[in-house]
Amino acid sequence: MDAAHPPGPGAGRASPALDRRGFLRATAGGATAAALASLLPAGCTGDYPQASSDGVALQALTPKEYAVLRAAAEALLAGLPVAPARVAARIDAELAAVGDPMRADMKTVLRLLEHLTLLGGRLRRFTALDGAARLAYLGTWARSRFSLRRAAYQAVRGVIYLYAYTEDSTRPLTGFPGSWPERRVPIPAYPVDFGEVR
Amino acid sequence: MIIQGTTHRGDVEDRADVVVVGTGAGGGTLAAYLADRGWDVVMLEKGGFFRAEDFTQREEDALAAFNGRRGLDASDDNAVFLTYAEAVGGCTVHYWGDSFRTPPDRLERWRTERGLEWMTPSELNPHWEVIEQELGIHICEERLFNENNRLVRQGCEALGFEGAPVPTARVDCIGCGWTQFGCAYNRKSSQLITTIPRVSRAGGRIYSDARVERILVENGRAVGVEGSLLDRDTDRPHSRIRVRAPFVVLAGGALGTAELLLRNGIGGDVVGRRFYVNPHYFVFADFGREIDNITGIPCAYEVHGFRQVRRTRSGEYAGGGYTMLCSHQSPGLTAAILPEAGAAHAERMRRYRHLGSLMSVIDEENPGRVYLDGGVRKVKYNVRGVDQLKAVDYLRNAARIFLAAGAREVWIPDVYGTVVRDPREVEARITLRSVQPNAQICAGSHFLGTAPLGADPADSFAGPTGEAYAVKGLYVADGAAVPTSVSKDPSLTIMGVARWIASGLHERAGRAGA
Repeated sequence: MDAAHPPGPGAGRASPALDRRGFLRATAGGATAAALASLLPAGCTGDYPQASSDGVALQALTPKEYAVLRAAAEALLAGLPVAPARVAARIDAELAAVGDPMRADMKTVLRLLEHLTLLGGRLRRFTALDGAARLAYLGTWARSRFSLRRAAYQAVRGVIYLYAYTEDSTRPLTGFPGSWPERRVPIPAYPVDFGEVR
Repeated sequence: MIIQGTTHRGDVEDRADVVVVGTGAGGGTLAAYLADRGWDVVMLEKGGFFRAEDFTQREEDALAAFNGRRGLDASDDNAVFLTYAEAVGGCTVHYWGDSFRTPPDRLERWRTERGLEWMTPSELNPHWEVIEQELGIHICEERLFNENNRLVRQGCEALGFEGAPVPTARVDCIGCGWTQFGCAYNRKSSQLITTIPRVSRAGGRIYSDARVERILVENGRAVGVEGSLLDRDTDRPHSRIRVRAPFVVLAGGALGTAELLLRNGIGGDVVGRRFYVNPHYFVFADFGREIDNITGIPCAYEVHGFRQVRRTRSGEYAGGGYTMLCSHQSPGLTAAILPEAGAAHAERMRRYRHLGSLMSVIDEENPGRVYLDGGVRKVKYNVRGVDQLKAVDYLRNAARIFLAAGAREVWIPDVYGTVVRDPREVEARITLRSVQPNAQICAGSHFLGTAPLGADPADSFAGPTGEAYAVKGLYVADGAAVPTSVSKDPSLTIMGVARWIASGLHERAGRAGA
């Protein structure tokens, strides 16, 4: 806290603000859990065929990370008129284009999401859970007392919802009629003389 | 002349009287001032050059084309999303056009605390008057008020909260609703369509897709810059560019300027040490009827009655320290911000056309930091201390406004799915847990303070004239130079400061290279 500006009662107490190093420290137990989780029968196949079966040529994520992202999208977008695979593939392409640190962070988050189920008492990996269980598990991240678990939740759900609702297929749900150019509203742009443009 | 680096082939060597790094509110204003007075100007912009026809009004296109890090940039712990544009015209390509003069109390603070004697209304007003005329800045007319803006005004009037129509930089705006994704009609007075064409027509060269990597310094004096021309699709360099000039002006925004200085080791530990963003928290209100907030301009009305912090007799925080802007979001961004998941989230999105929205401009007292980590520019920022209390006070008063305006429900988009239906519930339901880091999506877009002006070299990057203490001939004239949060949208502050610095440079140096 800033000594010059002391907080009011309770300000900031609820959330230890962790940076990335703090995240690693806080998840040291998580790494152990991940190692343990990898020993579980449900996690032994090491087989994540989703990208292949979706026909997605991955650019940023590994097949495993893609499978986790796709599984999260399936849970978050259940019942919506948008294909989770399409959203996951779009995010993979965006991560490839934007690069690190966003790409590296998201990859870390997805791997942890897959394996930290053990901390919540679940004996199966995230991708092996059914839709309701995945949502319930994500909910524990959302309301975690650890800032970085909430951060991971916000990051995953944020990009999934962002790219799901930029799809035209979700418009019937929101009633969004499309922007003016799409509706061919005939408004000309004012002319601008930029001089020579090469 | 505008030279698009993405398609230019071969290395570039250029010379000018001044080279300006960045083409936004600060760079555009300064460059046009000097070009109008006969200076030979070169401008370098990392982002691409886009015209009205390139602005498709699709958010995914805009995020990918000209938002910094494709709209995915955030602080280290993801707690604050960093929204900024990288394009010719800088952040004015996606800004809302809100154009406030710096509040006199903030100028007075900079004058007394930073030793910036020229930070007075009488010194800056003449510059603002010119800028306001050039950009067509005027008090937002009633026809541009959409239903969300009208409802917020109505709520404020019912409660006795102070607010007013915003001064806005537009000419014949048609209120299409997509101002933050680039104006497709050339009605918003961004630098892209105002100062940049002036520089170009005056003989200046504006290189897009040009990433500056080195500030050239000889014998303690800046003599130019060099960097790479980038392929716009891949961001990969394909050629080199070097511009020599007796004056180098940094105007790449508080993030870009800090990054360049840090990479060059210029300015010491004052660079990036304070990074202000004016945290934006969002509040949504369901009015139970279509209000179509995506039409019109985002912000025609500002709630300014809470700008000043109120304290108790013993000095404890008692409220205020923020303004509120009416806001609207496109479907994708709304979906990312709204709370809940699965079917509950879908149910909220079904009410998209019923939603009003407000956004905070927290006048933070605890800034973040910009730094390099393994060669990667990063940002450490937490809303903390008294700034969390301001955020809670804002959320509560925003809820009260919407409820007074007839909202059925007010949604705090936190991970707890906080909903308020009765003003008597506001205090109990909206608490500090809503503003814990990552309890909700918080954004920052008013980047300031990373290379501040000031009379004390130990605590300032540049002196009152804008010239760096460490390197002669090196100036800063963007949000980085502004010492602290402005407590309002800072675009007109940045333009005024840049124009003041430009006038001083012109007065002292004349047409330097001629």
